[in-house]
Amino acid sequence: MLLEVLIRLVVVVTVMLLASTAAFVGRYRLRDTRLEWRERVQEVAPITVVLVAVLLGNSVARQTVPDLSWMIGWERTGQIEALEGSFIVWLQSQATPELTAYFSFSYIYAYVFLLVFPIVAYFALSNTRPLRELLAAYTLNYTLGLVCYVFVIAYGPRNMMPELVDALLYDTYPRYQHLTRQVNRNTNVFPSLHTSLSTTVAFLAYRTREIYPKWALVALWIALSVAVSTMYLGIHWAIDVLAGVALAYVSVTLSELLVGQWSVWDWLESRVPSQSEPSGQSGKRPRETRDPERDRAVEPTDSSGEDG
Amino acid sequence: MLAATGLTAAMAGCVREVRNAVNRDGIDQLSLTITTLPADGDRESIQLSRAIRNALEAVGVDVSIAMRSHEEFLRETLINHEFDVYVGRYPTGTDPSYLYEALHSRYADEAGWQNPFGFTNLTFDQSLERQRDAGDGERRDAVAETLSAFAAEQPFVPICAPREYRLARTDRFDGWGDRHPATPLGYLGLEALDRENGSGNDDSRLRAVHTDARPSQNLNPLSAEYRNRGLFTGLLYDTLAVDAALLEDSGAESDGEDGEDGEDRENREDGEDGEDRENAAEEDEGDEGETGDENPDRETDANDADATGPDLRPWLADSWTLEDDVLTVRLREDCPFHDGRQVTADDVAFTYRFLADTTLGDDRVPTPSPRHRGQVAPLEAVEAAGNDREIAFRFRRSLEDASAAVAGALTVPILPEHVWRERSAAADVTGVRIAEGVTEALVVDNVPPIGSGPFAFADRTDREHVTLERNDDHFTLREGVDLPAPTASEMRVAIDPRSTSAVELVSDDDADVTTSTLESYVLDDVIEAADEADDLEVLESSPRSFYHLGFNARKAPFSNPRFRRTVARLIDKAWIVDEVFDGYARPIAAPLVDQEWVPDDLAWGGDGDGDPATPFLGQDGEVDVEAARAAFEAAGFRYDTNGRLRTRVSR
Repeated sequence: MLLEVLIRLVVVVTVMLLASTAAFVGRYRLRDTRLEWRERVQEVAPITVVLVAVLLGNSVARQTVPDLSWMIGWERTGQIEALEGSFIVWLQSQATPELTAYFSFSYIYAYVFLLVFPIVAYFALSNTRPLRELLAAYTLNYTLGLVCYVFVIAYGPRNMMPELVDALLYDTYPRYQHLTRQVNRNTNVFPSLHTSLSTTVAFLAYRTREIYPKWALVALWIALSVAVSTMYLGIHWAIDVLAGVALAYVSVTLSELLVGQWSVWDWLESRVPSQSEPSGQSGKRPRETRDPERDRAVEPTDSSGEDG
Repeated sequence: MLAATGLTAAMAGCVREVRNAVNRDGIDQLSLTITTLPADGDRESIQLSRAIRNALEAVGVDVSIAMRSHEEFLRETLINHEFDVYVGRYPTGTDPSYLYEALHSRYADEAGWQNPFGFTNLTFDQSLERQRDAGDGERRDAVAETLSAFAAEQPFVPICAPREYRLARTDRFDGWGDRHPATPLGYLGLEALDRENGSGNDDSRLRAVHTDARPSQNLNPLSAEYRNRGLFTGLLYDTLAVDAALLEDSGAESDGEDGEDGEDRENREDGEDGEDRENAAEEDEGDEGETGDENPDRETDANDADATGPDLRPWLADSWTLEDDVLTVRLREDCPFHDGRQVTADDVAFTYRFLADTTLGDDRVPTPSPRHRGQVAPLEAVEAAGNDREIAFRFRRSLEDASAAVAGALTVPILPEHVWRERSAAADVTGVRIAEGVTEALVVDNVPPIGSGPFAFADRTDREHVTLERNDDHFTLREGVDLPAPTASEMRVAIDPRSTSAVELVSDDDADVTTSTLESYVLDDVIEAADEADDLEVLESSPRSFYHLGFNARKAPFSNPRFRRTVARLIDKAWIVDEVFDGYARPIAAPLVDQEWVPDDLAWGGDGDGDPATPFLGQDGEVDVEAARAAFEAAGFRYDTNGRLRTRVSR
């Protein structure tokens, strides 16, 4: 059952990725990528390692976080509900089958696509800074989000008001439960990581709008859809979504500050002087890409593709 | 001088007046928290809680709802007693004898389902004792009297008893519903069918789906937080005897049959008949006989149908004899635990000592197993009787009068001494002070569980599944043993948190049965779908639990019966049954799931058409605010000018 859902997810997202790559990235960038991929991989390798480590740590931590937070956390569902009133109930009263299908699609497929596509799109740029910022921002989202989950225990609206807020996703498409419960615990709703990660992508897409103007619009639309879907489907409170946006803002700002501050490769080179030759390809990578001026600026010249 | 004296006197008077005024505490708006489960844990509880909150807010009480996970909910209510009021399911309610343990003041300070309410009332204690001690002839009157006293006191508010529905596939196994599917016996003795379209290999795996993740996290039969009715631990651990009613009675459609009540005891949520045995233990006035129908002879069979006490069948025991008030139980030969060691008389004797005090006497505070406290209390001593297979049970009271006590005592899980002995140590968490009397045994997750039951533990993944495999050495599989045996080679219990996805698994042939009961809101669809499908069957069985609003009577104003009665009158039980349970439940005024013991004047709808004990103040779920306020004022409470209910509270 889970496998079936997973395969479908992979197929749908792959199709979306291929189509978007063709539409937004263009073949000139792909051609350059084929020539430069080694250098780019090397540049983003350190942050990728950090992100993967955080994700692995996260999946382990998710087993213990609920136990931990029942010991030291605060249960806050009542206050959240009292604060925001019946917004979710109103939102759900607008439900139609079409909207439910659309938002379910947004919550599952469009969301995964939204997170994966910018990795492809930014990898296709010879300046790897946007990609490194993106990965750093993902890392920060997961880390800070997990800290919130430890201290705040809250159940989503569908758990508080099952008869008013239909768990539209799980009742209409029960099979998705198998997927989402792999990654979500029902006490982890504050903040909404769906929203924060989507908003992170949207913020960065806005920042790279000169390079990928159409993608900026698409990303904004999908991020909005995902944020609304979490409320429409009764999974998050509006306050979780606002907190998610705030978390995204913090993560993007921090990642802008932090990315480029340290270089693993420079450090390695200083530790292992003149050892670069034997390591072959990777050792030859020119250091000048570390020039901070160039690093920080988004390169409009890079947008030689179809986006212009 | 005089002037000074006068001044001092005047000052003193003045200060005293100020003191008199200042030291009076103000009284504030009543503010309370309803503790309950989220919809993922119990969809109906949270809806009930919100309905109750709305009613209370309408009459000027400040209410918040605290949602807790299953185990946290039970820990706060049953063990720490940290709550104002809670809404949840009482795990029994089939036989009135459970009331003794649930409400007697002597249990007010204990952990577990023994009086979690902290309710104390000497007069009420007397009715409970009379009800417990009454012989056959007087029992009905004594129960009626207890229930009337209950209706007046409302130590908790019984709301409704939901019928149990499960969905099963009929194309791989047959015999569903021969025994109540809330009990371990419901999953034994099934007939594995050859599938017409099957590939022909021996595929007799039973695929169950359960909506509560706790069995995948903890399989400790002693844990009050992780067990409801002990279905899975009941498959892993054997008991010496089983209730005959459970062997023969399906529970299906049998509202209020005698047989029903056996199962809880089997499943050791002990509330139910525990109390009988229980108090049997502690006071030794004799009571004049229940029938003593447990006829501790294996010849005993099912034909004493109208016996009131439970009729027992040997299970892990081979037979038993009663002589001079000593019950000698003989074990079956060659019954190994899942790790290969034989079940011996020493294991059995150890089990009873251990359940009565999990510290095994090492600690100053005896710490009984909260789930078996009532069952083992009537026992004076349990000793291996000189050989490996015989155990002598001595009870605190004459056995003539204590059939329920025997039944309770013989239906606890038999634990292997070599696994549990070391668990008598105090639980130890580095750097944290643990409350006195918390033993390892009460908090250990007990994975892998080593029992001797029909199924052995195979594997588990937290929140995904727990898998049991058939114990091929189990005595029920031997020739000449006419007891339901494990027919499935494996029982894989997948965890799936929602009824809708659980139902989908069964309909799509990815599971054979839902071991959890289905939530009311899906029932219309499920029953309709099962009617149309050839290979689906809805198993409808009698209620075995009821929803209630529990007050923490240790705190004001919940200690005040007038307050509790008035709150009870704010709950429209009939409306709740329609709205929350879609009609798949019965509103109740007495704390029993069926009507058998309920006197006419407390029967629902018997008197007029509503709640005979605490009629609802309002209509169709809408509280009549004026009437409700008048009721609170009549009960001695006051309102401020803003319409807020003011009380003194104790925190």
